[in-house]
Amino acid sequence: MENELKQLIIDTLDLEDISVADIDSDAPLFNDGLGLDSIDALELGLAIRKKYNVKIDAEKEDVVKIFASVSALAEYIQAARD
Amino acid sequence: MTVDFIVRQWNAWAPGISCREDWQTWRDRQTFAQQEKAAIPAAVPKALQRRLSPLARAVFNAADGCIDNDKSLPIIFSSAHGEVNKSLEMLQSMQKGEEVSPTAFSLSVHNAIPGLFSMAYGNHQEITVIAPGQDGIAPAFIEALGLLQERHADEVLIVLYDEPLSDFYPSLPFALNAPAMCALALRISLTGVGLSLQLNRSSAHRDDDEHALQIFSFIKFLVADDKALVLGNHRHSWEWYKK
Repeated sequence: MENELKQLIIDTLDLEDISVADIDSDAPLFNDGLGLDSIDALELGLAIRKKYNVKIDAEKEDVVKIFASVSALAEYIQAARD
Repeated sequence: MTVDFIVRQWNAWAPGISCREDWQTWRDRQTFAQQEKAAIPAAVPKALQRRLSPLARAVFNAADGCIDNDKSLPIIFSSAHGEVNKSLEMLQSMQKGEEVSPTAFSLSVHNAIPGLFSMAYGNHQEITVIAPGQDGIAPAFIEALGLLQERHADEVLIVLYDEPLSDFYPSLPFALNAPAMCALALRISLTGVGLSLQLNRSSAHRDDDEHALQIFSFIKFLVADDKALVLGNHRHSWEWYKK
């Protein structure tokens, strides 16, 4: 699941120079880590909805926590699907 | 109205043409390479490079050759169509019932390229983006000269850019479609060394081409020996004169 998510992030956000192996599951996705921004978060939210049928509602959920890292994101999607 | 100004430096990009010598050659044959993309300047951070469309790359390439990276200056961007081809793509995908990409939307608006430019170069000066319609390139000059006259800055960068419109849009009877993508950047001031020009209001009633084509007329004027260039429409005309 984590590797699948990493590939989704790379494909969705056109991160041409980055491979799955380059992304640390526990590293921050935004700002410091991969250096993603708010537009990337929206784009990723849309891709996750399409692929996993899981909707992340920015009004109700703690999006900072959900998007903290690949492992946090995988955990959230897993739980939402169960 | 008459205003004197100096073109301190200019630089332009079109497919296959990326330096002033190329433009000199182009003046005689006026052809372009097919499908070539402008190089992304080294100053652009990696994270932003993936956001640059072919038109954005042309704009960055032209502007980068005119500026000193340590010194931000106000910029007037002017484009008839901007990234309207991206808007069309989004509308067509909506028609198919697909969801619109937030990234595609953010990069489709008229100030998308100037916004990226401001981020990439850390430029927090005044940045204006004009969609001049039938008035062509003159409003960008008037805006830039206004900033200089008001002493907002010693130098202002003008960036004119457009790309061919999608076939979806009827371009006739308007002369608004460009033969190729093009971006022209001019760094201007009221004093200093450079090409000395004068902008005059002209009483001529003209039926010149629109923005996308006027960019090429202006580049031709810059590289040719012509003393004057007049561009306008049935309402306003302007003359650029080499002093």
